[in-house]
Amino acid sequence: MKVEPMEEFEQELRQAFERRPAPSSLKQRLMKSRRVHQPRSHVSRWQRLAAAILLTAVLGGGLVWRNREEQRKGEAARQQVLTALRITNRALNQMNTQLAAHGRAQRQGD
Amino acid sequence: MAHDWQPDFEQLVDEHQSMVFSLAWRMTGDRGLAEEIAQDVFLEFDRHLGKIESAAHACFWLRRVTMSRSADALRRRVVRGLDLWVEMEEHHGMQLEPRVSPLGSRLEGLLATLPESQRAALVLRYQEDLTPEEIAATLQAPVATVKSNLQRGLKLLRAKAANHLKEYIRGEEYAREG
Repeated sequence: MKVEPMEEFEQELRQAFERRPAPSSLKQRLMKSRRVHQPRSHVSRWQRLAAAILLTAVLGGGLVWRNREEQRKGEAARQQVLTALRITNRALNQMNTQLAAHGRAQRQGD
Repeated sequence: MAHDWQPDFEQLVDEHQSMVFSLAWRMTGDRGLAEEIAQDVFLEFDRHLGKIESAAHACFWLRRVTMSRSADALRRRVVRGLDLWVEMEEHHGMQLEPRVSPLGSRLEGLLATLPESQRAALVLRYQEDLTPEEIAATLQAPVATVKSNLQRGLKLLRAKAANHLKEYIRGEEYAREG
């Protein structure tokens, strides 16, 4: 059977483009580099995880503290207002009593 | 998705290093750069090993990333202003192997003078024996584009090889006459 020129050329290409063996140093360097990088990457992964947990805890704690602080300040302000109202109420009562006594004294004088 | 495949990195390196290195070398035309690319590709592969689902997936991943890294390396060199084509021809010219015929060994040098997309398609077709559909998946390109690159690259390479052969025969005749 006659082989077409293009098929022959493609056959030539397949032979010319066979895989070449990789240099033996490639695997050695690769395994060495892997050994060097692997433990560090594991440590840094744990460190990243720990840092993330710590940061979340600090932020969460901060939020809770701020909430409680705001509640405490609100309660203190409420108490102050109530005290002020009580004082005002007492003063007004005293004023009323004095005015009533003054009125009675005036009527008796007349 | 869960998968039962238990990859052994060292075994995978043994199995695929020649493929990765040859792809990178033929794409860049630089042995040193090809070694660097192969090393980077395998280190990245190691980091992605948990996501690899099968031996075929590993092979596909390695081919795809090698081609992409080689293309990146070529672009970086063009940006740096190196005369890549001359350099690649010189590199290929220096690496002739006795096991290949004179035309065969010269074909590798001529491959370096083709546009990158045609070179990528031809290397995957004739080194890796992939179909146009598999090449398209590897290069993430449309099948029609890959087929066109294969046809054009093959035609161009054949024309260059024919010219080279004519020059070679003329040179031989001239040497005999002289």
